[in-house]
Amino acid sequence: MSETTARAIRFLLLAFLGVWLFFTLFPFYFQLITSLKPVAEINRMIPTFWPEVLVPGNYAGIFADPGSLKALQDSLIVALANTALSLFLGTLAGYALARYLKGPVGENLAFWILSNRMFPPVAVLIPMFFLFDNTPWGTDSYFSLIVLYLVFNLPLATWLMMVFFRDAPVELEEAAYVDGWKPFQAFFRVTLPLVLPGMISVAMLCFIFAWNEYLFANLLTGTNVKTFPVHIPTFTQGSQTLWNLVMAFSLVAMLPPVIMFVLLRRYMVRGLSLGVVKG
Amino acid sequence: MKQEMAAPVVPDWFEAGRTPRARIVARWVPWVMVGIPVVVLLAIVVYPTVWMAYHAFQDTNMMGLFTGRYSYVGWQNFANVLSDPRFHNSVVNLGWYLTFGATLEVLLGTALALVLYELVPRPGLRVVLLVAMVLPMMLPPSIVGVLWKFLLQANNGAVNHLLINLGLMAPSERIDWLGVELSLTSLVIADVWQWTALPLLIVYSGRVSLPPAIYEAARVDGASRFTVLRRLTLPMLKEIIAIAFILRFMDAYKFVDKVYVMTSGGPAQSSELPVFIAFQKGIREFQIGEAAAYAWLIFVVAAVVITLFLQYLKRVLKAQAFA
Repeated sequence: MSETTARAIRFLLLAFLGVWLFFTLFPFYFQLITSLKPVAEINRMIPTFWPEVLVPGNYAGIFADPGSLKALQDSLIVALANTALSLFLGTLAGYALARYLKGPVGENLAFWILSNRMFPPVAVLIPMFFLFDNTPWGTDSYFSLIVLYLVFNLPLATWLMMVFFRDAPVELEEAAYVDGWKPFQAFFRVTLPLVLPGMISVAMLCFIFAWNEYLFANLLTGTNVKTFPVHIPTFTQGSQTLWNLVMAFSLVAMLPPVIMFVLLRRYMVRGLSLGVVKG
Repeated sequence: MKQEMAAPVVPDWFEAGRTPRARIVARWVPWVMVGIPVVVLLAIVVYPTVWMAYHAFQDTNMMGLFTGRYSYVGWQNFANVLSDPRFHNSVVNLGWYLTFGATLEVLLGTALALVLYELVPRPGLRVVLLVAMVLPMMLPPSIVGVLWKFLLQANNGAVNHLLINLGLMAPSERIDWLGVELSLTSLVIADVWQWTALPLLIVYSGRVSLPPAIYEAARVDGASRFTVLRRLTLPMLKEIIAIAFILRFMDAYKFVDKVYVMTSGGPAQSSELPVFIAFQKGIREFQIGEAAAYAWLIFVVAAVVITLFLQYLKRVLKAQAFA
């Protein structure tokens, strides 16, 4: 291959990367400027690609709206409670699977637990809709969402904690036992610190999945409990959608996942690939 | 249950220095630790699935469910679903959605990851670009639907006007992105925009973790970059790319958030997917029996794919000396 051809190919590939970056970032740019425009400017027949007036007040508008604050609060309650529950149960089970249940039974159990995450929720959600109706809390409650999000977060947390515990060297733990430590001491003071980064990333993945969940929340809740993905499309005034508030709120709601990702990118890749990519 | 009784593999040091009674307890502790999630999953996943299997053979509707009056109808629900043109239409749609969604995402993601790693020289810049390209994944899928619905409006949508401004489209020929002909394509565009990031991220990280020594050797041997890509990089990333593909495939197969927000399956059922119809039948139209039949057809296909995938995953992890 001549030098010129190589350069041409290199240029074309970088151009492809550039086009993709534009495709990725343009919607965000438009989202950002829409969040700063007044409604009148958004509703024009020809959209402005460079806003004429900037209205940072749209962001204040979200925090002044009780419905929006309630939505953030609901999302936070559901996501935090579900994350805590998934992480607690997942850590215990993951530890047992990684250290003690290494035979074929334990292995099959681990794969079965993981398989629960991959099934379409349709077979779960429709019955749950009617079953939660019979609980004292009803379908439209924190309880139903916190429990149902375990469908996808508990298998993930268990599987990933197993992966992280397997990475942690068992020798240190053995040394602790030889020194006469009790199992719980050894677990909390030797093994747990070793898997702490893994635990944090599992917690964050669970949090993001619960935070961003829409389908369950949309079908089961909406009056007493309304998480932000369900709340955002309802910013309307009469028949008119208040796009500036929709965009402002979705940018604000995107911050926690983005910050978490930037901080813990490597561990998250491990989690997102179910442990295959070491990151 | 017989298998459950098998003693867990307990290391010697775990039992050392315990009384016989404490040993028995200690042997059971790991089973209890795994047992809790298993019981939870039996209750919230397996039980509802069995419930659906039961109702797939009943003529259950809303009233029937609350009064307890429904009767066995055999395979009638399945026959109804399988002969319904709405179902056929949704399966064809799903075929398009998976082919152009999942496949395109993995191809684009792999290409972008490798271009980014091989051709962008500065590591700092690489990370910044990577984070920029992964941003769409951080938005809830439903909000991505809202955002793209806004961008794709026919009259004053940003995409049409961007195309007009760039001179690629005449102002009189605005594309009706959310109309009958293109609604499914628009869903795919929004999905590709959001989820190309996942294969990109996985393949990029996989490439970063490949040992540099092999590449050094190839360079000394004078192999061209194309040969290195074809003979070294792609074969070593094969499993990782396959897993990225299956993860995307399964998610695209089972989730319909964007369908709800962007098109609601319309217009004229042009963007309906089987999972979407199952939810509509079950929770909006209260045709529980038929919804259960839908759910079970979806479930069986998923079970086959998941079984194959888990076997593959097991092999990959074993090869990594992991499982």
